[in-house]
Amino acid sequence: MEEPQIDSNGIDNRDIQVDLSHHLSGEARDRIANPLKDILRVISECPVTDLISMANGDPHHSLYPFRQIMYEVPSVQDASDPVTSWRNNSGLAQIIRSYKDQECALSIRDAFPYSRAAGLKQCRDVLTDFTKLIFAPPNHYVTLTLGNSDGITKVFRLFGEKGDHFLTDEFSFPSMTNSPLAYGVKWVGVKMDSGGIIPEELERVLVKWDEVKSGRRPHVLYIIPVGQNPTGSTLSVDRRKKIYAIAQRWDLIIIEDDPYYFLQYDIPQTNCAPADPDEFIKNFRSTLIPTFLSMDVDGRVLRIDTFSKVLAPGMRLGWITSNKLFHLKLADYTDSSTQPPHAFGQMFVTEMLSENGWKVEGFCRWLKSLCSDYQSRRDFLLDVFRREVESTGYAGVNCPEAGMFVWIEVFFEKHPRFVCEQYSGGSPVVARTNTEHLLKELFERLMNTQGVVFIPSSTFAIPENPLWVESDGHVPLSDRTRFLRATFGGTEDIIEKGMIRLGKGLREFFQD
Amino acid sequence: MEKPAIQYIRPKFCLVYIMVFLPSTTPATSAVDAGLKRSRVDYSRHLSSEARARLPNPIKSIWKAAQVKAGTINMGNGDPHHTLYPICEMNFVVPSIDGHDPVQSWRSGTGEQNIIASYKDDPCALSLRTAFAYGAGAGLKEVRDALANLNDRIHSPPNHTVSLSLGNADALTKCFRLLGDPGDSFLCEEFTFSAMTNAALPLGIQWVPIRMDNNGLVPSDLERILSNWDEATQGKRPHVLYTIPCSQNPTGSTLSLERRQQIYRIAHDWDIIILEDDPYFFLQYDLDVNQSTIQQYGYTRAMAEVLPRSFLSMDYDGRVMRLDSFSKIVAPGMRLGWVTSNSFFAEKLDMLTDSSSQHPHGMGQAFVAELLGSDGWGVDGFMKWISSLCNEYQRRRDLFMDIFRQKVAVSGFATAEVPQSGMFVWIKINLEHHARFSTSQTPTVPGGPTTNTADLMDELFRKLLNSGLVMMPASTFAVVDRAGTMGSHINDRVNFFRATFVGTDETIRDGLTIFGRTLEEFSCC
Repeated sequence: MEEPQIDSNGIDNRDIQVDLSHHLSGEARDRIANPLKDILRVISECPVTDLISMANGDPHHSLYPFRQIMYEVPSVQDASDPVTSWRNNSGLAQIIRSYKDQECALSIRDAFPYSRAAGLKQCRDVLTDFTKLIFAPPNHYVTLTLGNSDGITKVFRLFGEKGDHFLTDEFSFPSMTNSPLAYGVKWVGVKMDSGGIIPEELERVLVKWDEVKSGRRPHVLYIIPVGQNPTGSTLSVDRRKKIYAIAQRWDLIIIEDDPYYFLQYDIPQTNCAPADPDEFIKNFRSTLIPTFLSMDVDGRVLRIDTFSKVLAPGMRLGWITSNKLFHLKLADYTDSSTQPPHAFGQMFVTEMLSENGWKVEGFCRWLKSLCSDYQSRRDFLLDVFRREVESTGYAGVNCPEAGMFVWIEVFFEKHPRFVCEQYSGGSPVVARTNTEHLLKELFERLMNTQGVVFIPSSTFAIPENPLWVESDGHVPLSDRTRFLRATFGGTEDIIEKGMIRLGKGLREFFQD
Repeated sequence: MEKPAIQYIRPKFCLVYIMVFLPSTTPATSAVDAGLKRSRVDYSRHLSSEARARLPNPIKSIWKAAQVKAGTINMGNGDPHHTLYPICEMNFVVPSIDGHDPVQSWRSGTGEQNIIASYKDDPCALSLRTAFAYGAGAGLKEVRDALANLNDRIHSPPNHTVSLSLGNADALTKCFRLLGDPGDSFLCEEFTFSAMTNAALPLGIQWVPIRMDNNGLVPSDLERILSNWDEATQGKRPHVLYTIPCSQNPTGSTLSLERRQQIYRIAHDWDIIILEDDPYFFLQYDLDVNQSTIQQYGYTRAMAEVLPRSFLSMDYDGRVMRLDSFSKIVAPGMRLGWVTSNSFFAEKLDMLTDSSSQHPHGMGQAFVAELLGSDGWGVDGFMKWISSLCNEYQRRRDLFMDIFRQKVAVSGFATAEVPQSGMFVWIKINLEHHARFSTSQTPTVPGGPTTNTADLMDELFRKLLNSGLVMMPASTFAVVDRAGTMGSHINDRVNFFRATFVGTDETIRDGLTIFGRTLEEFSCC
């Protein structure tokens, strides 16, 4: 069976791609292919065409207790704004069906047996087509995952081993960054501003790196380029180009974790949405920011996509797009761990993106409509924020261009108990203010007396190390840990109440 | 009835183990276990350094703290609101289990069908609002409760916690990470499911094979390995046993109750954790299900009476991690199963799940919750389906054995035991009758093979393949004894094929016909 491969340029540039096998961890290198699948290879080379297999313990499909599976979903064809019609129950519904014995894009018979790690061909094909249409990567392969947590932690295992350092934003998503700590990978946080990770700072860390003192130079960069978690920042095209060039110079692997890619806001709207499906998709695509994947001529990007934010988290389905070697290694690893994703999700996605479902065009309509829904939630939050919080003078916020989060900056220097000492030598990373202490106090106060929970920025801060920090003029991260992460994913009622409680809490906190 | 919580206090270090008993319908105690003194196991000694170093998910911890107070507004997490989930209803068309033999009626298309439905906005056992949201590693309470109830009615385990998995491959490889450090040795059957044992190798875990006979792993050999173990030359004594007690893959053997008790006692004496991988547990044959028990108490009780006693059921120490799966009894693509273990391991397993795959998918959890719920089959209906499934697989096994006798065994070149459970027949090739069989090979390494068994079997495998038949050669499953203490090399014992009887009647007939014919050709030259 041919591997579905993405090559938008129509040329086979496999040879152009760089040999990146030296990035693999000892575990990934030592992994042995499943011996039962080795046998399958021998079998596949056998000239006999009508082989009888008594090899495997696969239950016969006549014993699967499913004849048909149906999902009731919104219709995306007629409504111009399917998300709104769905939410207020005014739109038409559509049934997505999978059958065991009738024709469909991925039948119950084909979806429910044991299968190989990369996922079922039908599902990989629809996602390969989608990836090709939207991201247009140079030369890449699709591996299915159980969502981005699964994808990212697998990729970490693929490259990380004891003693390694990985690079990431100085505020990053700890549910992910904590996971490789357990097996001895450490993190180096790179300075950010409101535009996300600063390319010059990234390069500085790599230049300054002393392999004698700190071990092997970091070879992996983990970033969330759109609606970054937690800061909500989105990397500009210019920064992306600079970062990719640095990755080429320093031989970095880029893990592009992009769950919020399809939630980009303030996109200039064309006057009319084209009726022609291909035009519609093209038009939709042109409004989205170019990905690292799209510029990845070397094959050093592993892009990690998920349905969690655009369909539902419980889908537990996503995909990794990478070069062929990493694709094969990820597939081996999946065979040796989780196994491929569940049949339900693969069937649903395949039907949804196929002839009898929404098709790619319909899915893009859903995404576009979802964007405008989240954008109005964001705008609502910012409106209430201005009214209830900014007016206090104790906090401010940048307007996020994407994602689900606003990063609320609290002006702790205005607090009567704020303490700040002058830097007088010593470790450049030791706090000179009591910012972190005040933040903790504020967080607890908001939770306990106001009944509202924000995640304090300390949860996301990657601990600094004087070994890779410039001592001149460096402001310790602990003194910059003065933010609360808030989501606008909730209802207007929740957003409004939350902001009112925040404003009230801030006033009381600063006036005590 | 809720049993009282029992506290164990370790005298010196004052570590407190709080154990809460699951409600049990029947007391699990029986005379066979009375001889075992319950030990206070230091579970933490079994953890890998990775599992020890793992931090809890900080965001989930914050929310846990915040949930204490009602009415708290969460602006912390990036969970899409449920009104934006584009699925408001799922329907699964499944067989009705009202008939006498639901599997037969389903296969022949004569039976009624049922619809299992899950809703986002209407009441049901597990709402799609919950199923499609982010959750915690263990899986959703509704599903865990349903499975704990099933466990309880089948195994009556002394004191255990249920965590969901993505099926047994997922669960088992997570257990390896939980318990194994580089340099550790784990115990397994000498022929085992190598896809899983191989997965442990890149973690630096080495396998120590235990001898088997027709009835599965030999307890005295397990004892021999542990008591002869020399930590100075062999490294840390094994602290984990991986076993497939029912229809062992590949040999098809099922451990007797007596052996299970002996093995548990050895595990108790040597402080071994038992990984009980039991995907074929529910596929047992020649069961003498009591009809009046069915009528009086239902299928669950009637089946529980005749199904084998699991290691879990005798696990007073909390040293068993039992792995169950829906793959063989519903369908492999379900990718859903459950691990039953002591609460300490359950928590560590959940932390690993939170740091890797995340909880199982909402679709499977919603389906299982409804299937086992009051609007679905219920636990009893599910057991009826399983009982009917057993009949169907037993029919296939019997057909296989009949044809095997006619087409293969008559020649005397091969023999097979009748499996009591599962999906596999372990066919022994009587190579000693082969003209080119040799028992006087010079081993290339000390303790190496002295026969040409492996070569002849490879030849036979290829000959079968060219005749159009695939069976799995035993060599695929063989675990080489690195210590060389077994007496004979496993390659001298690989004269077996694993064949499955789960195919269609036609596959069984045609396959065994080819097998018998090719075997005769092979044995004559």
